[in-house]
Amino acid sequence: MAGRGKLIAVIGDEDTCTGFLLGGIGELNKNRKPNFLVVEKDTSVTEIEETFKSFLARNDIGIILINQFIAEMIRHAIDAHMQSIPAVLEIPSKEHPYDASKDSILRRAKGMFSAEDFR
Amino acid sequence: MGVTELEESSLLLDEKLLRFMDQLELLEEKRATLNTLIEQGWFSMSKARYSMGNKQVSALQYASEIEPLICVHARSLDTGKMDFCAERVSQKCSISGKDDRSIEDIGPQEEGVRKRIKSKKDVTKKETSEDASSEKAPEVPPVRKSDQNPQQDPLKWFGILVPQSLKQAQSSFKQVIDLSAEIATLQTAVLIARQDLMHSMKEKYTLQEKTSGAQLDKVAD
Repeated sequence: MAGRGKLIAVIGDEDTCTGFLLGGIGELNKNRKPNFLVVEKDTSVTEIEETFKSFLARNDIGIILINQFIAEMIRHAIDAHMQSIPAVLEIPSKEHPYDASKDSILRRAKGMFSAEDFR
Repeated sequence: MGVTELEESSLLLDEKLLRFMDQLELLEEKRATLNTLIEQGWFSMSKARYSMGNKQVSALQYASEIEPLICVHARSLDTGKMDFCAERVSQKCSISGKDDRSIEDIGPQEEGVRKRIKSKKDVTKKETSEDASSEKAPEVPPVRKSDQNPQQDPLKWFGILVPQSLKQAQSSFKQVIDLSAEIATLQTAVLIARQDLMHSMKEKYTLQEKTSGAQLDKVAD
C-alpha cells in the first residue's frame, strides 16, 4: 500500500459516487470494505458519521470527498478533524450547489479576521 | 531600534497577508473550475442515462471487484505543508497483483483465427507451392486473453458499447480527481498560512506593547 500511494474516498449521492468511480478511484479491499458510501434517502446520519470516521481512521486514504449537504449533517465531525491527512474536500451535489460560506476550511480562514483573534 | 523592529514585523505581516489572500483567490478559482467540471460530468451522465435507460447508469452496475486506477501521493514539505499529487496506477502493476487470485480461464488462451493442425504430407506439398510464390502472409502475434484486463476500466461495468456521453462523463470526473488533489494541497497551504499569520500577528502586538511601554517610560523620565 505504501508504494502505491493513498486512496481517494467519496461520501455522496449516487451520481457523485458513480462519477468518481467512473474516474477510477473506487476500491474494495481484502475485507470487502469500499472506499465510498452512496448516500440514499434512507441512509441514517449515524451511518454517514461512522463511515466518515472509519475513513479518517484508515491510513490508506489521502483525500475524502464529501457532498456539502452531507457534510452539513455531520458538521461537528468535520470541524473536529484538524489533521492535514486525510484532507476533507466539500463538493457540490446535483440538488445543492456549492456554498463557500459553509465550507469548513474557508470558515476557518475567514475566522482569522474576527475580533477574537486579536486578543 | 524598537520602531524599526516593529516596522519590519509589520512589513512581514503584510507580505504574509498578501500571500494568504493570493492562496485564497487561487483556491476560489480552482473551486469554480471543479464545480463546472462536476456539473459537466453530471450532464454527460444524465445524457448517457437518457440513451441507455434509467437503471443502466446506477450503483447497481458497480463491479463486485473494484481496484483503484488512481492514487494520491501525499508528501509533507519543510514548511509543514502537504503536497497531494494524483497519479494513475499503471495497468501492469494491477495485473501482476491480480495474477495470484485470478480465476482460471477456461477455453482457448489465444484470441483470433487458429490454424488447423495438418498432416506431414500436406505440409510438404504446401511448402513446394509456397516456395514458388514470393509473397508470404505476415505473421500476426496471437493476443492472449490474460494480457487484457477488461474489469479494470469502470466504463465496462455499464456495458461493452457505452455511449460517447458516458466516456465524456468519465473524462470530466478524471479531471475533477486531478483538480481535487490540487485543491487539497491548497487547502492545507491556506490553513498553514493562517496559523503562521496569526502567530506573526501576536508577535507584532507584543512588540507594539513593548515599544509603547518604552515610549511611556521615556516620557515619564
